[in-house]
Amino acid sequence: MSEQRHSSTITVEHASRWYGDVVAVNDISFTVDGGVTGLLGPNGAGKTTLLHMIAGLMAPSAGSIRIDDHATWRRPPVYRRVGLVPERESVYPYLSGREFVRLNAELHHLPDAVAATGRAIDMVDLADAAERKVGTYSKGMRQRIKVAAALVHDPPVLVLDEPFNGMDPRQRLHMFGLLRQMAAEGRTILLSSHILEEVERIADSVLVIYAGRLAAAGDFRSIRRLMTDRPHTFLLRSSDDRRLGSMLLTEGCVFGIELDGAGLRVRTSDYGEFTRRMPSVVRDAGIRLFELRPTDDSLESVFGYLVGR
Amino acid sequence: MIARAPIVAVTLRGLLDRKRFWLMVALAAVPVLLMAMAVAFSDQPVEPEDFDTAVISLVLPLIALVFGTSAIGSELDEGTIVYLLTKPVRRLRIVLAKVLVAAALTAALVVPATLLTGLVATLGGSDVLAAGAAYALATALGGTAYVVIFLAVSTFTRWALAVGLVYVLLWEGILADLLPGTGQFSVRQATLGVARELADEPIPSGAIGLEQGLISLAIFIIGGIAIATWRMSRYQVRGGD
Repeated sequence: MSEQRHSSTITVEHASRWYGDVVAVNDISFTVDGGVTGLLGPNGAGKTTLLHMIAGLMAPSAGSIRIDDHATWRRPPVYRRVGLVPERESVYPYLSGREFVRLNAELHHLPDAVAATGRAIDMVDLADAAERKVGTYSKGMRQRIKVAAALVHDPPVLVLDEPFNGMDPRQRLHMFGLLRQMAAEGRTILLSSHILEEVERIADSVLVIYAGRLAAAGDFRSIRRLMTDRPHTFLLRSSDDRRLGSMLLTEGCVFGIELDGAGLRVRTSDYGEFTRRMPSVVRDAGIRLFELRPTDDSLESVFGYLVGR
Repeated sequence: MIARAPIVAVTLRGLLDRKRFWLMVALAAVPVLLMAMAVAFSDQPVEPEDFDTAVISLVLPLIALVFGTSAIGSELDEGTIVYLLTKPVRRLRIVLAKVLVAAALTAALVVPATLLTGLVATLGGSDVLAAGAAYALATALGGTAYVVIFLAVSTFTRWALAVGLVYVLLWEGILADLLPGTGQFSVRQATLGVARELADEPIPSGAIGLEQGLISLAIFIIGGIAIATWRMSRYQVRGGD
């Protein structure tokens, strides 16, 4: 499983999916090539719906989804080229880990299912527990055996839905390394996560999805910069909030202040400049700063900003 | 275990690995015990029609209902169906494997139960051993038809067990007996038609016979498999978000 290969392409064109009046995925278009691409978004953003459509488990209500120019919906042969790690933990509890991976190998009609099973289990570092029933596995072990099952047929495309859920830090590191190695061999890997740091550590490029819409797409660093450079609101508490507020208003990066019972709220257009200038402003004014914290740093607000841009 | 027929193997493991299998074994033993009690405490001779009361009217459909709805329904409920659907495997093959296992398990319990019931009655002095064999063969066919129907229902609703119970108790138990001409739409009536003729019994007026029974069962089986396959080829796995 180590040769360099021609990478596959996932193409999503104006894909939408709705359930009655609820729009889960709203007119999304992108292409994903070789390497690791992170699908980032908060819970409920539509990530699983989108991945299920890509994996051919759900029909798009509008638009089209293809892998290497083959539509995925109702095309079982496409699974020769795709491995899916679903989000749901459910794995046949009465099978051992080895039996479960072998089941997947047999369903792919692999000529040497036993050897492929052994290789896949070794790749996810589960050989020691392979004979145990899956029902006795921890959450992290279940995630890994699902990954082994997904890559047992050595597919050029891997789709993973929240693959790091339940893994401990060591298991995550191992999985990061494995996925990076597989991407370096030319595979196209699309994985979802609601945790920015996970995606940051592994993905070359990122798709940000929020409320069913594609909020941003591209190189991770530029998206990260976009997230950091958005307008921020900070809450400050100091020995003299009123005077600190009037001094900050003279700073070019501050475009609004508000004084309320909780303290001084400062709106800045430049996160980096503001945090660099703050210490010297406070020191020069001789004011004691008790608290400084961003009030809108949740992923929800980040995604909301990206969508509204 | 997971060998050349992986879907058969995993379905068999799933159906055998749970308490419900032993519950079904206990259910299959009920007609044998009832017959033993009848032989011990009653002077009335056992008639071939008693196999209907003892096996076909309730035990057969209940066992087929549990195996039929579990074979694919529990995979749909638990989400493990994803591992079968994301493979280059024809949906017909998935359905056939599931039907094969559920029908074989149903027959494996009901056929011996019917034969044993006949044996117990024969030991008690009634000459119904041959009739028992005829009814046993018919239950294998009828059980397959029930399994296919209930399996097909389970691809549409997670309430397949309740829907199946209503069908068995209301339609088969009451309405199909009362309404003339509805025998063709009843697995029980079709099974009885096959069993009676194989057992060389007279066919009651209005009831269906061997030929009509076999045709009805074949339509149930082929139609049910076609519907379940159609449904599975369009089955959509809904996402959690």
